[in-house]
Amino acid sequence: MKKFLFLFLIFPISAFAAQIGDNFEYSGYLKTEIWVKTNNDNSHQFLSSFRDTIDLEGQYKLSEDWALFVHPRYSYDPAYSIRGGVFDKNQEKMGHTQRTEWLRDCYLDFTSDHLDLRLGKQQVVWGQADGLPFLDRVMPFDLTRYWLPDFANIRIPLWMAKVEYSPRLNSTLQFLFIPDFEASRSASANDTFAFKAVNDWETFKGINSGSGGTASTTIYRPSTKLKNSRIGLRWRSMLGGVDYTLNWLYGYSTSAYTYTDSFTSMFGSIGNYVVSRRHKLMQIIGFSFNKSITNLGLFEGLTIRGEFAFLHNEPTYYGTQGHRSYTEKSDKCTYVLGFDKSYFTNWLFSLQFAQFIHNQKTFKGTQALNSYTYGLMDKVESYLTLKIATDFMHERVKPEVLVIYGDDNDGRISFKTKYELRDNLWLTGGYCHFWGPAYGSNGQFHNDDQISAEVKYTF
Amino acid sequence: MKKLVLFLCLSVFSFGVYAEGLEYYKLYSLKEGMSADDIMRIVYHNKYSLFSHDYQQTGDVLYVDASGFTRKRVWKRMRITKAGEDGIAYKDVVAFTYPTELKGLAVLTWTYENYQREQDVWLWIPSLKKVRKISASQNDDAFMGSDITVEEVSTRRFEDETYKLTGEKDFQGYKFEQTGGIEYKGEPCFVIEAKPVKSHWYYSKRIIWVDKDTGGNIFDEYYDKSGKMFKTLFRKWVWEDLGDKKYPMQIVLECKDLRTGHRTDILMRDTKYDQQISEYNFTVKALMRSRW
Repeated sequence: MKKFLFLFLIFPISAFAAQIGDNFEYSGYLKTEIWVKTNNDNSHQFLSSFRDTIDLEGQYKLSEDWALFVHPRYSYDPAYSIRGGVFDKNQEKMGHTQRTEWLRDCYLDFTSDHLDLRLGKQQVVWGQADGLPFLDRVMPFDLTRYWLPDFANIRIPLWMAKVEYSPRLNSTLQFLFIPDFEASRSASANDTFAFKAVNDWETFKGINSGSGGTASTTIYRPSTKLKNSRIGLRWRSMLGGVDYTLNWLYGYSTSAYTYTDSFTSMFGSIGNYVVSRRHKLMQIIGFSFNKSITNLGLFEGLTIRGEFAFLHNEPTYYGTQGHRSYTEKSDKCTYVLGFDKSYFTNWLFSLQFAQFIHNQKTFKGTQALNSYTYGLMDKVESYLTLKIATDFMHERVKPEVLVIYGDDNDGRISFKTKYELRDNLWLTGGYCHFWGPAYGSNGQFHNDDQISAEVKYTF
Repeated sequence: MKKLVLFLCLSVFSFGVYAEGLEYYKLYSLKEGMSADDIMRIVYHNKYSLFSHDYQQTGDVLYVDASGFTRKRVWKRMRITKAGEDGIAYKDVVAFTYPTELKGLAVLTWTYENYQREQDVWLWIPSLKKVRKISASQNDDAFMGSDITVEEVSTRRFEDETYKLTGEKDFQGYKFEQTGGIEYKGEPCFVIEAKPVKSHWYYSKRIIWVDKDTGGNIFDEYYDKSGKMFKTLFRKWVWEDLGDKKYPMQIVLECKDLRTGHRTDILMRDTKYDQQISEYNFTVKALMRSRW
């Protein structure tokens, strides 16, 4: 209720402020979107989402160098109310904006030639890949709709200090100090985009409980001490026409990992479980680059980009298909290579090849598992993505298609078309199809194809 | 050693000089008896404001279809003239401020002196909160969905066409659709025929009317291969009085597609020259400052 009051208060204040000077600037939107499941698998959850969103952004320039930026957003999804308690019980966790995520940005900005400061709640983005968060790991993620929304909406903002120092033109050292902590989150069990591992555990808990067993889960977040702050460094520069970055991030993983602290068997796998969800200290070391071919020739107009990340001490699940036995720290390497080029005047083709490499594929005779599904993972997992985008009617209609394909024949294809009805009224339609094995990252949703529509009014 | 000296001499000479004799930061006037090439060099000099160290302006862009339905964009633009330093002719930043759906979208462009080298372009994408290096749009692509092509806005160079002076005439006048007023009627002009160097291009020739007073190209007629005019491009130039000097300033652009009836109007305002804009505003870091 307090959040609603805040929104209703800020709007007239914003409008008033817009009257009083050029230093204040605001914008925002109201949006309604509906996602409907097209597969008939008798789950009755045909209505995946019916989300209404209000979003406001306001900037006040305190001086030429200083500015304050605030960006609240609140969403309410009556789909869960419509379905009521008949089909799921996720209203509390899924039906509205969670925790402090209603405040998307709230920071003070200082800008100058050599030094920029951004203090407050914000997003920081690393890397060059599209839709593959290998180096882009500074922020936690909201995966309640899997990886389908725009990434700016998937990232969960954090309170932090960002310092950018430019010793010379086109070279910048970025320092991040992140005392705030939020955990990445995924959909609750039985929701449309709940991970298979979550659903399976929920099902098992029911069986276990029915047989007299117990299961308790304790969540351990890093305590709010300064020493638990995450820190990051990024050097960005140009070398021979190549833009590159060198990146380092240290701190607690934003994802929580499941550990079985104790298990007392009653018979077989039925028994008393004490489970915890923990965040572990880890490091990410990486680099990224991009280069456009600007000289005449065969490759003129081609942009090549890439990123590499070494994940040190990231917790990894080991076990057998569908069953986690161990959670152990291990190292991984990831890289992405991307190629972008326009053909036929305004058709953009964007191709990416990515690999995810486990340094330690097995542990005590068990195999590394997919953290979403507990499916078995290969030592090297490869992915191919292709995005094609164009426009018609003077950019009034903008269709695009995105295909993501994994080497286990696991993937998805998304179509989206945006239509500008008026300057301030935009319509979007989309369709997403998943395929692959039930233990695949995308295949787990093979019965969850979605058709979506969105109306957005901006001001 | 001789080669080194020659190289240094050429380097020094080429710094601040481009296009066979025209110098950056200088203003040139059209004179009777000039060749088509001389006139067009000055046209390009004025088009890209290479007489100034920097400039900034706001542009209202109107997309108007045959029925009169109008869509609007507003951008803010800054440019700094680099005069060949590090091979760069000039750097541009264009940021959209309206409509809200596009607010924050910003493009940083570095244009090189070597006309055969494509621009370097970076794009700030608000939906990703990310800067992406992108390929320069193809020259015949519509600029942000308008009737104007990319090359007409930013990439066409003197070397891309051959020129012939076809005469000196008084302009017949142009009805500017936005106001309904007749512009430049009876204005003395050089008339130049320009043909693209590329053999298969989206136009076979254009007839350019160059205003003798400001040195601006006020009207372009575009012809297809069959010799039929398919597009017109009108520009309005005025003299901007800065006290100690005057600059030719473009304030209006109207492009009409004669085949579809669609047109694009760009109304430029709040133009300021030589504000000592820092080059640090033309970096990727500056692009990433975007709050939208």
